[in-house]
Amino acid sequence: MTQTPIISIRNVTKRFGSFTALEDISIDIRPGEIFALLGPSGCGKSTLLRIIAGFETPTEGDILIDGKDMTEVPPNKRPVNMVFQSYAVFPHMSVADNVAYGLKMDKLPAAEIKTKVAEALKQVHLSEFSHRMPDQLSGGQRQRVALARALVKRPRVLLLDEPLSALDAKLRDAMRLELVKLQQTVGVSFIMVTHDQSEALAMADRIAVLDQGRLRQLADPVTLYRKPADAFVADFIGRVNLFEVTAHEPGSTTATVASLGEIALAAAAAYPEGEALVLAVRPEHIRLTAGEGPGVPATLGDVAFQGDSSIVEVTLADGRSVQVLEDAAESARLMQLDPGAIVTLEIDWTKAAILRRSAL
Amino acid sequence: MEDFRRNLRVFLAFFTPSFGWLALFFLAPLVIIFLYSVGETVSLTEVKTTWTFANYARLTEPEIVTLFIRSLWLAGISTVICLLVGYPVALVIATAPPKWKPWLLLIVILPFWTNLLIRTYALLNILGTRGRVNDLFEWIWVQADGALRFVGLGEYQLLGEEYEPIVFLGRWSGVIIGLVYVHLPFTVLPIYAALERLERSYLEASLDLGAGQWRTFRSILLPMTMVGVITAAIITFIPMLGSYLTPALLGRGQVDMIANVIERQFKGANDWPFGAAMSLFLLYVTFIILALQAIAAMRRSRLRGREHG
Repeated sequence: MTQTPIISIRNVTKRFGSFTALEDISIDIRPGEIFALLGPSGCGKSTLLRIIAGFETPTEGDILIDGKDMTEVPPNKRPVNMVFQSYAVFPHMSVADNVAYGLKMDKLPAAEIKTKVAEALKQVHLSEFSHRMPDQLSGGQRQRVALARALVKRPRVLLLDEPLSALDAKLRDAMRLELVKLQQTVGVSFIMVTHDQSEALAMADRIAVLDQGRLRQLADPVTLYRKPADAFVADFIGRVNLFEVTAHEPGSTTATVASLGEIALAAAAAYPEGEALVLAVRPEHIRLTAGEGPGVPATLGDVAFQGDSSIVEVTLADGRSVQVLEDAAESARLMQLDPGAIVTLEIDWTKAAILRRSAL
Repeated sequence: MEDFRRNLRVFLAFFTPSFGWLALFFLAPLVIIFLYSVGETVSLTEVKTTWTFANYARLTEPEIVTLFIRSLWLAGISTVICLLVGYPVALVIATAPPKWKPWLLLIVILPFWTNLLIRTYALLNILGTRGRVNDLFEWIWVQADGALRFVGLGEYQLLGEEYEPIVFLGRWSGVIIGLVYVHLPFTVLPIYAALERLERSYLEASLDLGAGQWRTFRSILLPMTMVGVITAAIITFIPMLGSYLTPALLGRGQVDMIANVIERQFKGANDWPFGAAMSLFLLYVTFIILALQAIAAMRRSRLRGREHG
C-alpha cells in the first residue's frame, strides 16, 4: 500500500526536564483508518496524541499533516479535532451551542451552522437533546456531544483520548461498535489512545504498542497477536506464558527452557548470542489431559469459568504456574477433578515462539 | 450530627459556649445599637429609648444621601479596579508552575499579616506630594526636561516651569488607591480558587475547536469562573463600603466615607442615636446586597430545575 499518509510523525522525541516521555517515534497514519496508540499508563501515548493536537511541542522531530509541517502551528489552526477523556463539554452551553462552538470560530453563516449542528446531532442520536444542558445528560450522552462537536468540524483526523474509559462495562462494548460504525460513515481517520488491549484489538486497523516512550511494535491486530516483536508485546496483547530460555545456540532448532527442559522448535530462531530470550506459549496452544501421559506433567489448580471457555491454572513440577485455555466441554470435565489432580500438558510447539525479552 | 441532637447534654456542652459568646459579644451589642437608633440624646452621656423614627428620617438629608452615594461610588469603582487587576493576578498564579504557586500566593496574602495602620502609613509615605511616586514622576520630568533642553527646546518650557507634584492625599484618587491596595487579596483569592477548580481540558477543547486565546477567555474561561468573580466582588465591596481607616488617613477628612461620619457621631458630634441609625443602615445595605445575590443564585438553579422537568 503506497497511500500518502495523512499524518506523519517523524522522529518525535519529547522530554520533560530529565524525563524522556517519547523517544524517536516515527509513525505514518493512513487515510480512513482507525489507529490505536496502546500501552500501559505513563508510556507516552497521551503525550503523543497531545503533540498531534498541538498542546505540546516535540523536543525534537516534526509532525506533518497532509504533508505540511504543523510542528509550530497552534492547536486552533490545525485540521484535527479531539475528543477529551473527560469529554470537556462546556457546562454553560446547551448541547447545540457546544456543537456550534467550533463552527462559529470558522465564521460560517448562522443558517449553515444550524443545519450542520442538526446533522451532527442526528449522527450521534442526540437530536432530541439539543436544548439540554450538559448536567442533564448521562456520561454516554456527553461523550456523543463531544464526538459531534469534534466531527462537525470535518477534521482530517479525529483524536480520541481513552474514549471508552469513563463508561461502564456494558455501554463500553456498545460504544466500541458504534465508534467503528461512525468512523466508517464519516470516513475520517481516527487516532485513539487506550491502555486496554482488547479495545485496541477489537477496534483498530493498526496498533502502535508503546512502552516507556518507545515504539515496541506497529502492526495490525492479528500480526501483533501472532507475531509479537518481543516478550513485552506478547505479554501486553492477550494472555501468554513466558519461560526463560537458559540455553540456545543461534540457528539451532532446540533450546533449553526453564521449567520445561530441552525442547524442539518448529523453526530455528536467529538471535545473536548472549541475548536474553524467552519462550512464549499462548494458553490456547496448550491442551490438558487428565492423568499421566506423554507431555509435561502438572497438577490442576483453579478453573476460572468464563462461559464459553475457561482459564485453567496448573502448576508444573518446579512450582511454576501456567495458564491454559480450554473450551466449555473440556473445562466441565476438568471441574470434576479435585484440585491438585495430576494432569498432562501437551504444548503445540509449532505455535510456540522464541522471543527477545526486549526488542529495544 | 444526628447523635448530637439525640444526646441533648453533649449537644448543649458544645453549643452553649459558642452561642453564649455570640450572644454576649455580637447579638447584645447589636441590640444596644438598635435601641440607640430609636432613641434620643437626653444628656451628655445618656440616651433614652423613645422609639422615635427621627434618626432614620435624618438619613434622607441631602448631606447624608451624598455621603452614601459617595461611599457606594468609591467602593464600587475600587471593586471594579480590584476585579480588573485581581483576575489577571489570579490567572498568573493559577497557571504558574506548581513549585511557584505557594510563594505567589504568599506574596498576595503577606500584607494581611502586617498591621493595617502600618500599611496605610506606608501608603501615606508613598503617595504624598513629597512621596515616592512623585519622586519618580519628578525624576522622569527632569529627564524629559533635560532632553528637551538638549534638543534646544529648553526656553519654551513645554513641561511647565517646574515639576508639579500630583496630589493623591485628600482626593478620591488616594482613597481609591488605598481601598484597592487593602482589599486586593479579597478579590484575588476567590477568583484563584475558581480558576484552580477549572479543568484545563475545557480551555484545550476551546482551542482545539478553533478559538483563539482571547475568544477562549471570553467564551469559556470567564463564564466558567463567573461564580468566583461574583463572590470576589461581594467580599471586596462589602468591607470597602464600611472602610474607616483608609478614607480617614488617605482622605484627610476631605473624602469621608460612611464609617468616618459614623465615628464622628459617636465622638465629636456626640449624637449616638444618629450614629447608630447610620450603622444599622449600612448593615441593611449589606444584607440587601447578599439577599440579591442569593435570589439571583436561586433563580439560576430554579431555571435549571425547570428545564429538567
